[in-house]
Amino acid sequence: MKTVTAGIDVGSGAVKAVVMRSDENGAEILSHASSRIRKRDISSVVNEVFEQAAAESGADRIEYVASTGEGEDIPFATGHFYGMTTHARGALFLEPRARGVLDVGALHARAVAMDARGRVLTYKMTSQCASGSGQFLENIARYLGVSQAEIGPLSLEGKKPEIVSSICAVLAETDVINMVSRGISTSDILRGIHMSMAGRFARLLRSLEIDQVVFVSGGPAGDVGLLAALREALGKGTPEKPAAELELVSHPMSIHAGAIGAALWGAYRYHKLGTGGVAWTATVKI
Amino acid sequence: MISRAGIVDWALGIFEDLEFGAARAWLAEGPGRKACGYLPVYAPREVVHASGMLAVGIHGGGDRLEIIKGDAFYQSYICHLPRSVIELAQTGRLDFLSAMLFPSTCDVIRNLSGMWQVLYPDVYVRYLELPQVQDQATGGAFWEGELRLLLRELGRVSGRPADDASLAESIALYNTARGLIRELYRMRREAPWTVPTEELYLLMRAGEGVPVETFIEKARAYMSAVEAEPGQRKDRSRVIVVGAFCEQPPLGLIKTIERAGCYVVDDDFLLGNRFLDTDVSTDNDPVRALAGGFLRHAVSSSIMFEPDPEGKRNLMRQRVQAARADGVIFAAPSFCDPALLDRAMLRAGAEADGIPCIAFKYAENSAQFQQFREQAGTFADSMKLWGDS
Repeated sequence: MKTVTAGIDVGSGAVKAVVMRSDENGAEILSHASSRIRKRDISSVVNEVFEQAAAESGADRIEYVASTGEGEDIPFATGHFYGMTTHARGALFLEPRARGVLDVGALHARAVAMDARGRVLTYKMTSQCASGSGQFLENIARYLGVSQAEIGPLSLEGKKPEIVSSICAVLAETDVINMVSRGISTSDILRGIHMSMAGRFARLLRSLEIDQVVFVSGGPAGDVGLLAALREALGKGTPEKPAAELELVSHPMSIHAGAIGAALWGAYRYHKLGTGGVAWTATVKI
Repeated sequence: MISRAGIVDWALGIFEDLEFGAARAWLAEGPGRKACGYLPVYAPREVVHASGMLAVGIHGGGDRLEIIKGDAFYQSYICHLPRSVIELAQTGRLDFLSAMLFPSTCDVIRNLSGMWQVLYPDVYVRYLELPQVQDQATGGAFWEGELRLLLRELGRVSGRPADDASLAESIALYNTARGLIRELYRMRREAPWTVPTEELYLLMRAGEGVPVETFIEKARAYMSAVEAEPGQRKDRSRVIVVGAFCEQPPLGLIKTIERAGCYVVDDDFLLGNRFLDTDVSTDNDPVRALAGGFLRHAVSSSIMFEPDPEGKRNLMRQRVQAARADGVIFAAPSFCDPALLDRAMLRAGAEADGIPCIAFKYAENSAQFQQFREQAGTFADSMKLWGDS
């Protein structure tokens, strides 16, 4: 039986939604939408993104609407799943070989180790400081006057990267201002920032001892400069922990991994509740 | 009809008012009125009511009160509640109380009663030793004697000594209040989306700062509002929260647990409201009936002696079955000896029965909930996706 479910991932920077159809043979994405929150009311962004995804899906009903991220209060959601749970499941859908996820969000990054079913085995997050996050990268790009799309390619051109503080976003921003005044090129500044972020992420991944395929999710997953710096950082290893045989994988839908995971877990719950004779979940009519 | 939001706003207003405006207003309504404070967990409020006094639950200032003076009275390894209660008193917020009851919950509360006697010699102070032996000839006779003594002394304080008729009337009122709370807990157990724990908690908490008659009126209005506005069902895990019977968690923690994907279907919050799990008889001798009610119908809790060696280990299974819960969240205040000493036995019993559990500690002024959100969220997911729920 085909089940149509939706996943809504409310991040600190953007809202993402997908509508999926699944049955015993697998699942497919019917539609997806996303929008930056900026300074808008989150609930209105959620409604806008969900309505767009629902309308574009072509489905006439959605059996289970699953929220994730900061979406606990979405009034029409059937259930909520924690971010790690959904990113793990979403990563597995987009890359079945993945046994780890590096989720780079606007404010935090986290590494998750999981099994072949998408069950979270362990995880680690960066501390509360926004350094090493998408929002930090976006701020720096704005100071440097480059668009987000330019960040990755420019970073790849960097030849003499300048090291920035890897701990504090405020100090890192001061570092960048000093670099600009010293005439350091934009490429080298961006490369240095990517290396700083990559160093933190590599430590996160190493601490979980993930040694297989790692899926990179979140907005910055499409940043080729960040991925290159991360591959380099992971390739170096440390005296205590030599370089692991890690394969980093990204996907054009990486930013939607959380929403995809939510929709898939929603379908699972829909069937689990239904088989127990508790098919009470509210159907959202479109 | 008052809306659900209207009742919750009323309750929130009383909960947040550290000046105890509702109690002060009641005192101002009639000449010579007096109020009696009580600390957690169980105090015989019927005796206070029958003596013509307003019973006011004192739970500290939570996350709304900065502790300045209170820290001078207690070491750093003592829980937050007593320093917060001292802070309330030392800043004049409890100056409307003519009496204070300190039920035997732990040594800290006992010490607090001693401090009160020294600091506030004009206030009637009573440390209530609760009977720990469920035998009528010993525990029953002792508690009956304590209640008679308390009746005499509160009557002296209020100038309105209780008689059997007034005590029976008070018992009947508190039976009604307890019955309503039992019904609200039943409603939440059956359909937790209709009675969010945040709202139930606020209603009960407000009920400890107003006359019992007002609480009864508001509880009935809330139940009518729930029928009219039942709320939307969500796919959440059903959990029991255990260990928060004395120092209360911040409201944000209760909200966080439910927002993270759990329905709380049983708990220990404000346990004194439900300490007697059935009505107290209003026939014959009301003092004896009240004493006997405690002896026979006090709920199992960490402040009561458990004669059955397997009692603690079996308790979680019994509560989980009764509430049809998926798991247990052990949430106890930091440095709470009764809760934390029991936790090991309760958790061992729960895990032996295959019940999923997590545990964390809080203080009434905890302000950061991210770690609780993370724990409760992943716990809820694990039960929904990998458990039987």
